[in-house]
Amino acid sequence: MKLDPRTKLFLAIVANSVILSAPPVYSVLMFAVPAILLLFEKKWKFVLAFFSLYLAAVLGFEHLKTMDVGRVGTLAVSTMMIVSRMMPITIVLYYVMQTTKANEFMAGMSRMHVPNKVTIPLTVMIRFFPTVFDESRAIGNAMKMRGIRLFSLQTLKNPFAILEYRLIPLLVSLTKIGDELSVAASTRGLAPETRRTCIVPVGFHAQDLIVFVYCLIVAACFVIASRAKQSIFDIISAIFC
Amino acid sequence: MNISIKNVSFSYTDCIDDAVLKDVNLQIESGECVVLAGESGSGKTTISKLINGLIPLYQSGTMAGDVLLGDKNTADMTLAEISRHVGSVFQNPRSQFFNIDTDSEIAFGCENLGMDPEEIRERVNRVVKEIHIEHLAGRNIFHLSGGEKQKIACASVNATDPDIFVLDEPSANLDLKTIADLAEIIKLWKSRGKTVVVVEHRLHYLRDVADRIVYVKDGRIDCEWTPAELEEKGPEYAASLGLRSLRLPSVVAALEERAQSIAETITFRNLTFSYQKKFPILDIPELSLPKGKITALLGHNGAGKSTLAQLVCGLRGSWSQKRAARKLGTYLIMQDVNHQLFTESVLDEVLLGMKPKDESAALEILDSLNLKSYAEKHPMALSGGQKQRVAIASGVSSNRDLIVFDEPTSGLDYRQMLAVSATLKALANRGKTLFVITHDPELVLNCCHHVIRMDHGRIVEQYSL
Repeated sequence: MKLDPRTKLFLAIVANSVILSAPPVYSVLMFAVPAILLLFEKKWKFVLAFFSLYLAAVLGFEHLKTMDVGRVGTLAVSTMMIVSRMMPITIVLYYVMQTTKANEFMAGMSRMHVPNKVTIPLTVMIRFFPTVFDESRAIGNAMKMRGIRLFSLQTLKNPFAILEYRLIPLLVSLTKIGDELSVAASTRGLAPETRRTCIVPVGFHAQDLIVFVYCLIVAACFVIASRAKQSIFDIISAIFC
Repeated sequence: MNISIKNVSFSYTDCIDDAVLKDVNLQIESGECVVLAGESGSGKTTISKLINGLIPLYQSGTMAGDVLLGDKNTADMTLAEISRHVGSVFQNPRSQFFNIDTDSEIAFGCENLGMDPEEIRERVNRVVKEIHIEHLAGRNIFHLSGGEKQKIACASVNATDPDIFVLDEPSANLDLKTIADLAEIIKLWKSRGKTVVVVEHRLHYLRDVADRIVYVKDGRIDCEWTPAELEEKGPEYAASLGLRSLRLPSVVAALEERAQSIAETITFRNLTFSYQKKFPILDIPELSLPKGKITALLGHNGAGKSTLAQLVCGLRGSWSQKRAARKLGTYLIMQDVNHQLFTESVLDEVLLGMKPKDESAALEILDSLNLKSYAEKHPMALSGGQKQRVAIASGVSSNRDLIVFDEPTSGLDYRQMLAVSATLKALANRGKTLFVITHDPELVLNCCHHVIRMDHGRIVEQYSL
């Protein structure tokens, strides 16, 4: 199931705004879309892992939030709360990053008449994420080699050192890669003034319409419900009964 | 399309006195294959940037003189215009692809030219067949090996069908088999009447295809030969200029097998690794490394060498494998040393893993690696070779007995390779056991005592030199 890059952008914006401001019910309704779409991409393991972690965080938070759990407990509860808010956003972004090719994204943006000056840096950013992970993993290995561990007496004494060890090599190598990348792209004719074509066909289909309408309905429900200070279940029952 | 470089001087700063290029004149005829050779820092890469327009259009600096492609001056063109005529392949395979999947990447240049999608698809299919990379179609580029990435880079420039190809040290990260494939691709381009310019210090694979070898020294064109002329002068002459040899030394030919019993070894057992049980990536029941000696590990890209190194160093594998590696004390010098330098000074770098911290001992280690005068410098401000020696120094200071090197000489010229070789010998003399993953036969012949060759995750050969 392929979506148009513009639909994905719309999904990402609506889903993130709803997830950040609405109660968990809306989050579930929103991130169900990328989750189902990821199943089409055969990412079973990722979706399963995501759901287990999300469920654990939400249930844990709901169960513990009213109890007196002490200082350490409070830390755990707030972590759960952050996880339950951030996970849905992660899955939406993961879906968009995983399934959007760079050329497809650029084609979609130019259909919306976004100038190349904006699109090219955004595309480089998407291209950059996997590189950041790759580099970060290599640096992690190097740190292990040197016996610098994340949780040890040494790092507890000097928590900023660990940040420095991790970030400085990362920044140095990313700056270098970024420069080489833009050199390579410009020698291959990528420039703000060029008019590109795209070998991946871009266009709207039935599935795009479904996602659009669905997102709008969920968002509308949330806005109406919060105005009327009612839950989504009340609205559904009001419509059907 | 012919290339004329006329009286070009260039400096990266505004001051023309310490110029990288000094009054360079070079005429390359249409259909010629020219190799720009010379030591690192001689300015050969800078000349290649004149041809693909990165100088003066991307790199800031001061330039005098003219570069003409056909009858057009590059200074009057845009990079996008130049890209229609010149295709470039760069040294680092990790940072020259813009897309995440191979098909889009091969099509990328054509898309930028605004070609019809149907025609682009045809071209992509044709190029994939020509370069014999059918097995790489539709793959994620992040999952490809360095050699495979470099082939994709060649395919992508081929797709736009430029008149001129510029390759900047394309073989730096490749094994011998992939280098041979690269030579075939260059022959294909030449047979079509394309102009090919290769910046390189490994000359062996270009022997049959190059028309001229232009030797660059201190920003000037020093002299030039045909490959036959250079070969006549003998390997010592090439070595004295810092060039790698034209004939590849065969490790097996120089082999002098001695039935010596090795007194002491470091032995690993059951080095196995797999992502799925049925398909083992690595299956080595026993690996013995002679103590205090240098052992080379050879094998093609994808034979399992890096996985073996990571297992030996405890970066991969089961919990018990990791614990065994830690107990033994192994240290890995990575190919990209930028990843393993963390602190603000060279001295801190050495002290970081040292227990107990002993400044005078650290200085002594730095001295033995010719780094003492850099003790207070920031590691990232050093040259590539110096960074590598800092990484080695921190390995020595952490008191590990076994040091593993991943491709220590990739992209190095002859003199730098000899310097690394000398460092390795010095470490062995200190009683360290060294295990060197390499594609470089010259390094192996220079300093290694033993050779292990791997294929498909198994050891297929072991011998002493």
